[in-house]
Amino acid sequence: MLVCGIDVGAGNVSAVILQDGDVISYCVVTSGEEGATISRKVVDEALRKTPFGFDDVQYLVATGCGRSSVPFAHRQSTEVVCQAKGALYLLPSVKTVINLGTESSRVIRIGENGKVEAFTKNDKCAAGSGLFLETMSTILEIPVELMGNLSLESNGYEEVSSICAVFAESEVISHIHRGVSRDHILVGLHKAVADRILEILGVANVKSDIMATGGVAKNMAIVKELEQRVGLEITVPPEPQIVGALGAALLGQDKVS
Amino acid sequence: MLEQFRQYHLARHQNARVWKEQSGSQVLGTLCCCVPEEIIHAAGILPVRIMGEHEETTEADIHFPTNLCPYCKSCFDQALKERYDYLDGLVIPNVCNMIKAMYGFSKLLLKTPYIRFLEVPQRLSDQGVDYFTKELRRFKESLEDFVGKPILDEALHHSIDVYNESRTLLEKVSELRKKSPPVVSGSEVQEIVLSSMLMPKEEHNRLLAGLLDHIEERDDPPEAGVRLFVSASILDDTDLFALIEECGGMVVADDMPMGSRYFFGQVDSNSEPLRALADRYLNKIACPRKMLPEERLNFATDRMLDADVKGTIIHNMRACDSHLYEYPLLRQQLESQGLPVLFFRGEETETEKEQQRADIEAFIEMLED
Repeated sequence: MLVCGIDVGAGNVSAVILQDGDVISYCVVTSGEEGATISRKVVDEALRKTPFGFDDVQYLVATGCGRSSVPFAHRQSTEVVCQAKGALYLLPSVKTVINLGTESSRVIRIGENGKVEAFTKNDKCAAGSGLFLETMSTILEIPVELMGNLSLESNGYEEVSSICAVFAESEVISHIHRGVSRDHILVGLHKAVADRILEILGVANVKSDIMATGGVAKNMAIVKELEQRVGLEITVPPEPQIVGALGAALLGQDKVS
Repeated sequence: MLEQFRQYHLARHQNARVWKEQSGSQVLGTLCCCVPEEIIHAAGILPVRIMGEHEETTEADIHFPTNLCPYCKSCFDQALKERYDYLDGLVIPNVCNMIKAMYGFSKLLLKTPYIRFLEVPQRLSDQGVDYFTKELRRFKESLEDFVGKPILDEALHHSIDVYNESRTLLEKVSELRKKSPPVVSGSEVQEIVLSSMLMPKEEHNRLLAGLLDHIEERDDPPEAGVRLFVSASILDDTDLFALIEECGGMVVADDMPMGSRYFFGQVDSNSEPLRALADRYLNKIACPRKMLPEERLNFATDRMLDADVKGTIIHNMRACDSHLYEYPLLRQQLESQGLPVLFFRGEETETEKEQQRADIEAFIEMLED
């Protein structure tokens, strides 16, 4: 049985191919094209690494904010349910999923029965999202994928106090002008991002095990900062950007079986 | 027939102008459900509830900072754009800091001839009712001066009867939301409730009584959805309810000032009218500004009786302090009853609609899973 999950997010589109419950291929590409075109491309790309073609896929579930733009999907499902399902597959004991996406960050609480109990999202604010990090990457002239490690290697930090992405940008620029070392600014930025995530995490009620998903979860400086502040270990799967698509594929598998 | 309520609400300004021209009487705008409309009605005046609009504020932005209550700001913006130019007066109660400030702004910036600040006690007590009764007497006297004739006790008794009938009918139609399969949708009931704050009460009662006679035989009943409870600070239109229905949900009970708090609890028609009004408007409206949390939250829980709700949406307008302070307690109480909660901090504009849609879809899928 071949099923596919596709996650059309604000920054990336990802697809996961499941064969009889096992992940046999996946693909992540940057969004940018019209939803129907890019989603077909990413599915074809994922299938290219398998002996199967598009017509062999029995069921396809679309998730993500652009899920309605996938004309060939048999079913749509929300990010909350798909993230939870994907995370549970990877870590059956997971109780809290911190999904850190391009435009939104959300925390999903999973009950003992494996069902979603509650979820919270960032409050109309870009600070704390992947887009915020991308903007800062441009200003600091540091590739976004290097930001985490550079920050972890730093021996000091410069506070970025603004809670607004726009104000934080001008604060960072004035730090640069004052000659503050860029790795120190990065540490400050990551602490500020962690602050925003902690606001929605509700630290007092956070339950272990915790998994971080989404592109921002690749930034280990943010994950380490969160671990330190919450006092609990956070698991990051090897490919955190495909958890939503994986959950969608698992939903498809449930439907077919 | 349901369409009549919606149309009246949509064309509310034009309808008020026509009523005014035909009756030769006055129209007074009110803010908040703690203004005893019966006294205004007894003076031969049409009370209409001030509502905002889903449009960017422009005129109000000249005068006020951005971090004010979006509902109040939108109402004021509408007034400054002269959409309420037919109003002969405004009754502004002392319910929250922002509405209180609206009194000052209105005096300063509007040309409305009669602007009355209504003192409302902060706590529920016998002394509070005594005080509010005296304040309602002063309010009645000021209306008498304004219209140039006395408001007789017979007229007050009659108005109380008309309003009690309205509250009975609104309670009946709102209870029909709880039926399974549904007889009437949450957004339809909300249209009826909102139009009752705008239309002459006798007319509304006549239409609603007629609707209730036949509603259970309707051939176009709404589709069933995931049963939800909505608690809100201010929702002055039916958009959120309609959005919930588009996402596969159905509001079957509510706790809102522009919802069931408006029509819950009768005025004792056998008592001295002003004291009876003071008692109902002070003691029976479950507002977090007056009631301590335990009493307030009991009201919310009671509204859910027999509603078989699966989840709750709490919508608090940004900057609505009294509701926002209560939110953690309400959330805790609902979750302890096994009811998941989705929370929105609302705006008056439509900018957040798609964000809300995404969250409601996820919430409903979560409840169905």
